Amino acid sequence: MAVDSTAEGSAASPVSQASSSGDVPADAATQRGSSEPPVDSIVGTADDGIVRQIGHDDFDPVGTLILVVIYMIILLSMWVFMYFIEFLGRGLTVVG
Amino acid sequence: MATASGPARTFVDRFPSEAGVIKANLLVSFVALGIGAFFGLVQALHRTDILRVIDSADYYTMLTGHGVLLAIVFTIFFLTGFFHWATARSLDRPAVSTLYSWAWFGLMTTGTVLATIAILGGLVPNLGISADVLFTFYAPLQAHPIFYIGLAMFIVGTWLAGADWFLSYRAWRSDNKGERIPLQMFMVLTTMIMWYLATLGVAVSVVFFLIPWSLGLIPSVNPLLTRTLFWYFGHPIVYFWLMPAYMMWYTILPKLSGGRLFSDPLARVVFLLFLLLSTPVGIHHQYLDPGIAEGFKFIAMTNTMFLLLPSLLTAFTAVASMEHGARQRGGEGYLRWLGALPWRDPAFTGMALAGILFAAGGFSGMINAGMNINYLIHNTLWVPGHFHLTVGTAVALTMMAGSYWLVPQLTGTKLYSRPIGLLQVIMWFVGMVFMSNAMHRAGLAGIPRRTAEPQYQNFEFLTPIGSIFELRVQIALGGTLLFLSVVLFLFNILLTSLGEESDRPVDEYLPEPLSGPEGSPRVLDNLGLWTGIAVVLVILAYTLPLAGIIQNGGGLFGGGLPIPATVSAGLDFVTTLVTTTVNTLLEVAA
Repeated sequence: MAVDSTAEGSAASPVSQASSSGDVPADAATQRGSSEPPVDSIVGTADDGIVRQIGHDDFDPVGTLILVVIYMIILLSMWVFMYFIEFLGRGLTVVG
Repeated sequence: MATASGPARTFVDRFPSEAGVIKANLLVSFVALGIGAFFGLVQALHRTDILRVIDSADYYTMLTGHGVLLAIVFTIFFLTGFFHWATARSLDRPAVSTLYSWAWFGLMTTGTVLATIAILGGLVPNLGISADVLFTFYAPLQAHPIFYIGLAMFIVGTWLAGADWFLSYRAWRSDNKGERIPLQMFMVLTTMIMWYLATLGVAVSVVFFLIPWSLGLIPSVNPLLTRTLFWYFGHPIVYFWLMPAYMMWYTILPKLSGGRLFSDPLARVVFLLFLLLSTPVGIHHQYLDPGIAEGFKFIAMTNTMFLLLPSLLTAFTAVASMEHGARQRGGEGYLRWLGALPWRDPAFTGMALAGILFAAGGFSGMINAGMNINYLIHNTLWVPGHFHLTVGTAVALTMMAGSYWLVPQLTGTKLYSRPIGLLQVIMWFVGMVFMSNAMHRAGLAGIPRRTAEPQYQNFEFLTPIGSIFELRVQIALGGTLLFLSVVLFLFNILLTSLGEESDRPVDEYLPEPLSGPEGSPRVLDNLGLWTGIAVVLVILAYTLPLAGIIQNGGGLFGGGLPIPATVSAGLDFVTTLVTTTVNTLLEVAA
């Protein structure tokens, strides 16, 4: 049995089954725009806009890495900022 | 990815009985959302002194109604409906008994009605029924007995609901020996095990202390004991709210993005970490309670910091899955792929915006969790600012956005309006940015929480940037936008349910993960082992603190005042208890 996907609803699966896993056409953005479902349409049809299939080994989430690094930089800078404002600015906080 | 085959059949066609139960759960959830959101609007306008239509004494009744109806009723009824859906869908089988499903729904609803009557009774003078005890219903505040009795029925109802899903799983397992647990089912089971463990605390508090006390059967309770038992449950309930949202981020959001879940094993690890770490951390809500030794608070803080790990893992996995979808939709570049995501789909956009604000809530949560830093913001408006980002947005907005995808599966009708849905989720995001950032800043300025009129004579709060007036306006404006957003949501869902049936009301297909569970260790699915470890961690974290609280607070039923405690006091108590017990046993044996 499939792990977490049952056969149900599969007819609604993306048209991109027929798509080959190749490069994106140069005008992919234009194609995507034209294949976007009408605004007042059904929910969950992002699959209809798939222009290529990307398998596990072909996927390199470099964009995710960049976003995570940006978040970590924000966190670190806020901690440093807080350290100066709340601790160096107010004296020691005694615990215990 | 699974291939397309066979006619499209929606969930309601395949599981009509389950769809009925789920719709009933969502109905209660959304009614609570409407009432609770209205109370929220009244509060936002009242405490900012923009518009005061109620007496300030009634503020606390509304605050209790807001907290209980939104944080307990809206979220948990949505959860029970959603988990019922996930169980039937992922196992591809109906519930064992529809009658049983209606029974737990009926018990939960009856309990909810009783508790709500007790709360709203506070608005009716001379009725003699009230429950102005806030969402954190520990002593010394006391409610009418039907509030506690209603809560107890509600909790027992959730236990029975969990049993329903375990029975479905058992039936599936007998037909599928050796199979890996389907991911959504795995998430339901681990969340419910965590819930069973966590609700023991509140059950003991309500049944053994608060109900007898409110009925006058016992003269007093140990306030610190009921507080600690509440927070024993009060932190894991945070994750009980979050787990349905996480399940949507892991199993639905990738599909809504046009992609696939990045890693199934990573999702399992995350849910196991929540099972292990959600409960032995409750004392981090009690950093300023004098009756608990600092050492125990330090242990709770350490556990809490470990708890950041699964949330950060989730941030990575959810974003990576979205990026996969964007790139399959033709997205390119380091960050330009973000533009290829389906931003016009309200279900996707709502969840993505919820995730963004959850990242901000993660930061303020780290401040709350740090023992010494917590002292700066404890009991200030910072804390409601934090949890309006987490439960108020990460959970609530994800649930509303998910409803746009889920409800059409249950009704067989298309969403009434995608543009209104999109406007609604954006309005929530904008409203919450206004309200929450102002609450955080107001907290840094020292403005207290849980206060109808935080304005004092001959004293003014100071804020380094902007002004207190500007913060008040932001809170009032944000609260108004949030209320309007809820009105739009309810309007859209109501008209959806009244719409005409459609052959393809929604695209409910969920693709396989990029990395499935095949290669992951089977021990991940050994739920007995993980439950055992979770129990051991709870025993380690709570035995000594509870012993100290009982000893120093005048016993189980109080009578003394909590006094500053030390680790050795708890140890002394346990040593004395064990020694006495052993001596007694030896005497009996002799």
